[in-house]
Amino acid sequence: MMPATEPKDALREFRQNLRAAPKRMLETAFRSGPPRTDRSRSTFVFGNVFLHLHSVRTHRWSLRWLTTAGLGIATLAAFLITLVTGVLLMFYYKPYPDAAYQSIKDIHFVVPTGRFIRNIHRWAANGMVIAVILHMARVFYTAAYRRPREFNWLIGMALLVVTLGLSFTGYLLPWDQLAYWAITIGTNIAQSPREITDALGITEYFDPGGLQRLLLLGSDTVGAEALIRFYLLHVMLLPLVLAALLAVHFWRVRKDGGLARPADADEILARERHEETYPVFAELPQKTYHLAAIVRGRTPAVGRGPENTVPSMPHLFYAELGVLMVTICICLLLSICWDAPLKELANPNVPENPAKAPWYFLGLQEMVSFSAFMGGIGIPTIVLAGLGLIPYLDRESEGTGRWFGGPGGWPLVRFSLVFGFSAAILIEAFAIRFGWLREWFPNIHQLVITVLNPGTVLTAVYAAFSIGAMRRYNSTRAGALALFTCFLCGFAVLTVIGTYFRGPNWQFFWSPSDWPVH
Amino acid sequence: MKKNKYLLLISSLLGLGLLAAAAIEENYFREWRRIQEQARGESGPIPVQLRQIVNPALKAADRCVSCHVSMAPGESMLRGAEMLRPHKPVVHDPAEYGCTVCHGGQGQATEKDDAHGRVAFWPEPMLPREMSWAGCGTCHVPLGVPGEKPLREAELAFERLDCYACHRVEGRGGTIRPDGGGMEGPDLSFAGLRGYDAAWHEKHVKKAEAESGAWRKSFAPVSAEDQKRLEMFLRTRTGASALVRAKSVFLSSGCLGCHRVNGVGGDDGPALDAAGLKDPGRLNFTGVPGGRQVSAWMAEHFRSPVSVVAGSQMPPAALPEEGIRQLTFFTLSLRARELPERYVPKDRVRAARFGEREFATDGETLYGAFCSGCHGADGMGRRLAGLAAFPGIAHPDFLSIAPDELILRTLEDGRPGRRMPGWLKPEGLRPEEIRAVAAYLRELGGTTRQPDSRPARWVAGVAARGRALFERYCTGCHGPSGKGGEGPALNNKVLLAAATDTYLVETIRRGRRGTAMAGFAEPAPVRPALSQADVEAIVAFLRSLEGGKS
Amino acid sequence: MTTQATAKQSRLDPEPMPRRDWLGLGALWTMGASFLFAAVGMMRLPKAAVLPSPSKKFKVALPETLAAGEPFVPPGRAVALFRDPEGVYAISLVCTHLGCIVKPGAEGFECPCHGSRFAPDGEVRKGPAPKPLPWLKVSVSGGVVTVDEGAVAPQGTKVSA
Repeated sequence: MMPATEPKDALREFRQNLRAAPKRMLETAFRSGPPRTDRSRSTFVFGNVFLHLHSVRTHRWSLRWLTTAGLGIATLAAFLITLVTGVLLMFYYKPYPDAAYQSIKDIHFVVPTGRFIRNIHRWAANGMVIAVILHMARVFYTAAYRRPREFNWLIGMALLVVTLGLSFTGYLLPWDQLAYWAITIGTNIAQSPREITDALGITEYFDPGGLQRLLLLGSDTVGAEALIRFYLLHVMLLPLVLAALLAVHFWRVRKDGGLARPADADEILARERHEETYPVFAELPQKTYHLAAIVRGRTPAVGRGPENTVPSMPHLFYAELGVLMVTICICLLLSICWDAPLKELANPNVPENPAKAPWYFLGLQEMVSFSAFMGGIGIPTIVLAGLGLIPYLDRESEGTGRWFGGPGGWPLVRFSLVFGFSAAILIEAFAIRFGWLREWFPNIHQLVITVLNPGTVLTAVYAAFSIGAMRRYNSTRAGALALFTCFLCGFAVLTVIGTYFRGPNWQFFWSPSDWPVH
Repeated sequence: MKKNKYLLLISSLLGLGLLAAAAIEENYFREWRRIQEQARGESGPIPVQLRQIVNPALKAADRCVSCHVSMAPGESMLRGAEMLRPHKPVVHDPAEYGCTVCHGGQGQATEKDDAHGRVAFWPEPMLPREMSWAGCGTCHVPLGVPGEKPLREAELAFERLDCYACHRVEGRGGTIRPDGGGMEGPDLSFAGLRGYDAAWHEKHVKKAEAESGAWRKSFAPVSAEDQKRLEMFLRTRTGASALVRAKSVFLSSGCLGCHRVNGVGGDDGPALDAAGLKDPGRLNFTGVPGGRQVSAWMAEHFRSPVSVVAGSQMPPAALPEEGIRQLTFFTLSLRARELPERYVPKDRVRAARFGEREFATDGETLYGAFCSGCHGADGMGRRLAGLAAFPGIAHPDFLSIAPDELILRTLEDGRPGRRMPGWLKPEGLRPEEIRAVAAYLRELGGTTRQPDSRPARWVAGVAARGRALFERYCTGCHGPSGKGGEGPALNNKVLLAAATDTYLVETIRRGRRGTAMAGFAEPAPVRPALSQADVEAIVAFLRSLEGGKS
Repeated sequence: MTTQATAKQSRLDPEPMPRRDWLGLGALWTMGASFLFAAVGMMRLPKAAVLPSPSKKFKVALPETLAAGEPFVPPGRAVALFRDPEGVYAISLVCTHLGCIVKPGAEGFECPCHGSRFAPDGEVRKGPAPKPLPWLKVSVSGGVVTVDEGAVAPQGTKVSA
């Protein structure tokens, strides 16, 4: 039976609808309503295109500061900062050799907020490289690469390479002496397979080194073609690749069941004091939250109540935003205090001496000074291969999610630190003080030096140490702990030597004031 | 998760604070803003904004005028700060040319130290204020500049003859007629560029005869010598007399003997076309007094080349401090660069395409410019530690017996294998200029040549005996086989081709007074006198060295 | 978040919010404020502080032989200068229709783009131009004329030398 209603009046409805339109616009845009209940908090995350990459609930272990130190989000934050500031810089930067340097000077002196934004871009870029390395170290030391997260580790390695590529391609754009000669060195390192093909006499027929360099530079010297290629890589190709890989990386975190945590995480949490203690469900709920599909594999909770998880909205987001703001603050502080460097206009006739690669490649350059091929291609390949194989070689399960977890633990890492630093310093000191094979046997064949040089010796020593650790603790994880720690030490020592102790002609000097003046 | 909220709150507050600090710093604490806020124009305060002078042809975008606001295009007198004084009246309008073309520095910068170029990694710092005229050298080449002495005489002549009474030159002198009819005589500041009336002297004299009254006295006829001096003065008036004066000092220091400038000069030392553009970041300032300035480095280089440039063969400039300053001034002006067609000045065209000389071509200037660096201003040679001795070519004992042929041949072909270059070449001197130098040498020595009626080769001595004598008495200074040592090389092709036997014989017999070459016709404590036959034997031996045979 | 001791309430149901989360809201609003501040700053970047084109004010020296009514166009400028017994004046050569450069001629100015014609004093005779060619501010001192392309003077203003 129809209730008595007023007869339909279209015009009155039109007026009512028009008046209700603003409120309705809000309601249709934000359908889940304010997030005040767990259900609406869930829908807030799940129903939002930007946020639904997050899982709806987060385990409290993942939110502890010491679990991750926020390094992954810090890397992402640094990337977002470089993205925004980079787009702004694109308003004024001109990617042609005759105009590039001037446009950077204009950005520095004349463009409103230009100096500040350029500084932020430079420091955030450096911050991103540091953060990505620290993030990789964190994931390694908490053994978070183990099943089922092996592939995500490989994606992370790809992200590391793309990050270094972004930093390297951006390095050339100011077109000053620093940029020009750093990239000259870098692309010559790309040509280093010639060391092998020349020694074998096959360069005429098979020249991958030359091809690599030609593809990078678009010419046989660093010039306008190289600049426009590096610009294309830096502003479009590599960011797109990075974004795609990031999407896979975050999705994988979801599908792998969130961040790795130790098997006894819940017990540990139970012992700690915290406010948001949720009791176990009084009864098994009929339906926990809106499920879009049945998924196979891991989700945060299958078959039991979501204990020890908190709604992502707002707890995870507070954590992420906090890390974002801290990263922003660090970049702002650095940008106010220190200007991004800019030397004189690039002059192909006046090489910088010493011509140094960007700091993250200085360890490589140090090794390149002993052997171009090994330092440029050989050892980096070994390192990348080694890093990539870690989750496939260490398939144990002891210690996942715990800092320095696994056989050996912190004592092994501590010892590896000592060993790693000492070995690197000793081998470098030897080479610096006494020289190497070429000084004693001037006619020795190049291939001998390629195989036997401080870089390869150090690598071999670290490998032997790792095998020793494996034997001692009867565990592949122990071997990995030893080797990774040694790698970090070696990287640090070589980078520091390359940065502070190498002067003109790559000679060793204790201090820049000892450098000879031309 | 309270701590995350605290983290967010505190980092956001910090972020907000840092952003505010950066914003305030950029919008309130810039020096150019404070200067512009103080400025007051005709219609009151001026809008505070960045200003620049843009000249795409000269690749200039000079923001100097953000602080030096009065020099911006269209701005007139502004009051309020020292900085706001307008530019001194100069030939070229700064509003068209920009600032860095003449002054150097970093035009794109908007902070003081960056703009003045006194920062690391800027290769072209601003010229010192008192040497701003060196900036003319970016485009211009002063032509026909004489040596220091002739120029000074010219300047003094203009003063002595009271020309300043009627003529203005660079703001000095000139009388305004009492009836308001302008100046008595034309402004001669640019007479060297715009030309002057060639019949000026006749006109002056005629005027003196025609008019009566107080003006008559000034137009007494001027001697021919003084006329030449006045004309030299007029030819060098190009609006930058400080630079011309500095160039005259350069042209009296013999630098062109070893260095090339604009394609003319010797090649013992590097070409100086870009000597004024030295990058201070690449210079070694140890032992240079006066701070890390290019001008200080240059001055020390002139005082003591070897302590600033390791391994330098350059003799120290034998000049007092004022001379060193002038040399520095001129060297800073050697900063020519590529210019668009429209901006190439006439003097550069005259020099490059029509071969007009930068220096006056009288013997005194040429000698001062090319020879005095090695042979001394008085022509008596120079001896410097570590370098081979440079002979005294105006020595009376030399000039009285040297045939003209010898002097001319030596100037033209030099001494191959030794430091004396041959000057008859495109980068060297022209035949008439060489003759002028030779004539000046005779004048400098002050002696006339003794007539010599004998033929060029008349000696008939025994070379073998001459060799024994040579080895006993001569090799100590002249080296084995006469290849040179303390004394000149005697086996030199050009010397032996151009020297007459009389010259050689008389040189040995009389020696050169005041040098280590004794007169061997006279006895000495360590050796007997040589007889005529001995001397002829030595000469015969020397002749046998011709072509380098021993 | 407190626990309900009595009724076993499922946490899916709305719960009373005991007090506002000042800390969280304050943190979020502060973050928002800093982003807003940053956005305002970033939006200032695209507006250039100095334009890379030559200055609008420029000085020029008229040739001695310029006849009355004969235009003098300084190289690189879209301005025509005239001198007649009453003084010096400058008319902009930028067509008021869509900005093409007009050609000065004996009978005025002609625009090649859409056929506008202007009288010698800038008034529109023909064509789509909506306004006459503007007269520009001129000042003369010591034989040098300064023209300000950015300042318009009333039609007919002639400055005597």
